[in-house]
Amino acid sequence: MSVLAFRPPGRGTAACFPLLAAGIVACTAREAPLADRLQDDLGHIVALEPPARRIVSLSPSTTELLFAIGAGSSVVGRTRWCDFPPEALAVPSVGDGLGPNLELVLSRTPDLVIFYASAANQAAIARLDDLGIASASVRLDRLDDVPLAARMLGRLTGTGPRADSLAAQFAERLDSARAARRGGVGSRSLDRVRGVAVVAWDNPPMVIGAGSFLTELVELAGARNVFDDVALASAQTGIEAIAARDPDVLLILGDGLPAFAQRPEWQTVGAVRRRDLVAVQGSEFERPTFRSFEAVLTLREALRRSEARARGRAQ
Amino acid sequence: MVSLILEARGLVFRYAGAARSAVEDVDLSLGPGELLALVGPNGSGKTTLLRLMLGTLVPQRGVVAVLGRPLAAWDRRELARAIGVVVQREEATFPLRAREAAMMGRYPHMGPLGAPATRDQEAVDRALERCDVASLSDRWVGTLSGGEWQRLRIARALAQDPRALVLDEPTANLDVAHEMELFELAAHLARVDGIAALVVTHHLNLAARYADRLMVLHRGRVAAAGSAADVIRRELLESVFGWPVEVTSWHGTPQFIPLKRSEET
Amino acid sequence: MKWVVLGASAALALLTAVAVGPAGFAVDPVTLAIIRDLRVPRALLAFLVGGSLAVTGSALQALVRNPLADPYLLGLSGGAGLGVVAAIALHLGGPWILPASAFLGALAAIVVVYRLGVVTGAVLDTRVLLFSGVVVGAFAAAMMGAIMALSPAAELRNAFVWLLGGFGSASWQSVSVFAAYAALPVTLIYLAARSLDLLTLGEEPAQYLGAEVERTKRLVYGAASLLTAAAVAVSGTIGFVGLVVPHAIRLVWGHLHRTLLPAAFLLGGTLLVFADALARTVFAPVELPVGVVTALAGVPVFVLLVRRWSR
Repeated sequence: MSVLAFRPPGRGTAACFPLLAAGIVACTAREAPLADRLQDDLGHIVALEPPARRIVSLSPSTTELLFAIGAGSSVVGRTRWCDFPPEALAVPSVGDGLGPNLELVLSRTPDLVIFYASAANQAAIARLDDLGIASASVRLDRLDDVPLAARMLGRLTGTGPRADSLAAQFAERLDSARAARRGGVGSRSLDRVRGVAVVAWDNPPMVIGAGSFLTELVELAGARNVFDDVALASAQTGIEAIAARDPDVLLILGDGLPAFAQRPEWQTVGAVRRRDLVAVQGSEFERPTFRSFEAVLTLREALRRSEARARGRAQ
Repeated sequence: MVSLILEARGLVFRYAGAARSAVEDVDLSLGPGELLALVGPNGSGKTTLLRLMLGTLVPQRGVVAVLGRPLAAWDRRELARAIGVVVQREEATFPLRAREAAMMGRYPHMGPLGAPATRDQEAVDRALERCDVASLSDRWVGTLSGGEWQRLRIARALAQDPRALVLDEPTANLDVAHEMELFELAAHLARVDGIAALVVTHHLNLAARYADRLMVLHRGRVAAAGSAADVIRRELLESVFGWPVEVTSWHGTPQFIPLKRSEET
Repeated sequence: MKWVVLGASAALALLTAVAVGPAGFAVDPVTLAIIRDLRVPRALLAFLVGGSLAVTGSALQALVRNPLADPYLLGLSGGAGLGVVAAIALHLGGPWILPASAFLGALAAIVVVYRLGVVTGAVLDTRVLLFSGVVVGAFAAAMMGAIMALSPAAELRNAFVWLLGGFGSASWQSVSVFAAYAALPVTLIYLAARSLDLLTLGEEPAQYLGAEVERTKRLVYGAASLLTAAAVAVSGTIGFVGLVVPHAIRLVWGHLHRTLLPAAFLLGGTLLVFADALARTVFAPVELPVGVVTALAGVPVFVLLVRRWSR
């Protein structure tokens, strides 16, 4: 059970600091060894005396976070998918993050390997345990995970103060954005919230559901995902389902008009017929990070422009 | 002019990679209403010769003619309307009813689609009667005994309304009664209906009693051909079959008796 | 009588498929447009594909003289998958890229398997054909794995979802193209019905009963493969229909292809329409891949059939 599993329900995060501090102290007081024992997001003990000096980060989101909290110089290995910040590209790649090539990872002589929290990595983690190399699994699926992950990484890399501060800022901003949305301040001049469908693939049609942080981005941008009743992060559906829910706008990750918008069967979807399509691009849309608010602003702007076009047509 | 049903001259065939020819310099002729028996030890080339006569194999030398025309000039459906063949072994992949299987004998007469016509039904009925399998009409083919399946296939061949039948070891699974009935049937078809028959058989004695002519194959060559008297001779049979025999007579037809070791002189 | 039941089931399946869906059933212009432009072509396509797969399965079972043959035995689903994965990995664009690449991949597999199956003397040996199909399929699967491992394209995940089969992108366009295309191979196979009956006796007896064996084998192989390639191109790999439907029909209609083939077409179409309707309503709005539904339903039916076979 993770010490950091106490997820504040989104209100007054700052109040939890003393609680967390007390918790950590209590934990370390319970454990006999003097090492600062942390548990990662999968309940696995991180067998390391912080700070870690040579980190292999096996997930683009953790790589980005490490650089953001100022621990970039300790990153000695990254996945081939880690593309932000630009400084990360100078770090040698060790291949894939899921089911990693342990030989390459070990060739970087890490003292800490950071995994994306997934059952697929269990075997690799067990191997590292056998070899006495510390590993930590970090969950970064939703916006709420960002400050928590930042704090854990801060603890592990000795950049606690900066990490905690960034995490606190992010959490605060998230809280106020959510409160604003609930209070209706975030919505635009139209009385109702615009419906969005995020179409990830066309054949077969795949849409993003409530399980994905993209839905959170859409909501913070003042709209709503018409598929927010689907608990999965992404799901296969049919064109008819999209047409039946009649989103005002289709959100596509990529650039320009997608090819499927030309196809006759997609014209049954109102948003396609009216060409109310919004395309966004960038790694800030691929994972929750400190840049997520920039992503929200980009989205909000794109949606506003699309709405203006729609109103222009109506006149 | 009555042409020969089947005629072959100078057939030579060697399987790829074989040491010797399977069939070497063989002539064969089958006239209308004739019953010709083809005999010989295992590996003498009987089945290969049949396949050459029917176009399944192409000879390296020699020609085959059916009803006076070269074999190559016949298409399969035409040939199936002229010659009914019963191969040694046959196993249907899917369960069929006896009558359905027999009806396939009419396929060479039927168009690509469309149900069997009345004359097809009648032909099948007649054929089933002749072969004494009419009572098995609704049985599944897989439930028939070896002999019943054999007779059903002969009925199917008869349903083709052929000018000739080619039967490869047709009595292999038949008991005495049915074996005799098969030869009686073949002889009757030959004499009365004018349907010639080329019968490959191991039963030299029965062949001698029923066939108009016999042909003995030995290592791909014709060792002897002609009437029973020409063929059932002691020295000939001993050299072909490699076993001591004695020749006797039954109602004027020569018959051979393979000798026991203790009976050898 | 049994034809009436079969025809009625087909009609019922089509009506049900047109009546159910997320947009409901109403006579306002928006819903009618959805029904007309999405549901009707989807139901029709599912029917045509299901029928084609069943006919192909029946024909192949006769061709290779094996009751366990099904349309994917000849390696072409592997070829189709490889075509799709390659197209996605190379970031090829265009609205028709998936069906086109699947079809071309399947064609390549068909040609390779055919060449391997033609042994000395220009005879198409059906056992070698089967073996080659398995080998080509395995090779294609390995190549797909290699591309997936080496390519950075994140969309490759979606190739697998596509392969599992579905009618989500059905349109009047795809229905008419498929119908026009499928008409010829289906007709050719049907015209070969008598020859297929004869083939089940064995190649030699078939020949002596008038079948042009080599020509029939080539024709049936060609028609069956092209038909399956088109089905895969338009809807991914949907299993069990081609295997199980012929056997269900055989139990009631017997084994003569003159009646087996049209009955199989009707039943295959009916079942696939029902399967697609299930796939898109059970967990609405999430759709299951149709191949999953046919497998889930197909396995117990298959077990039942095998029991009946071995009596």
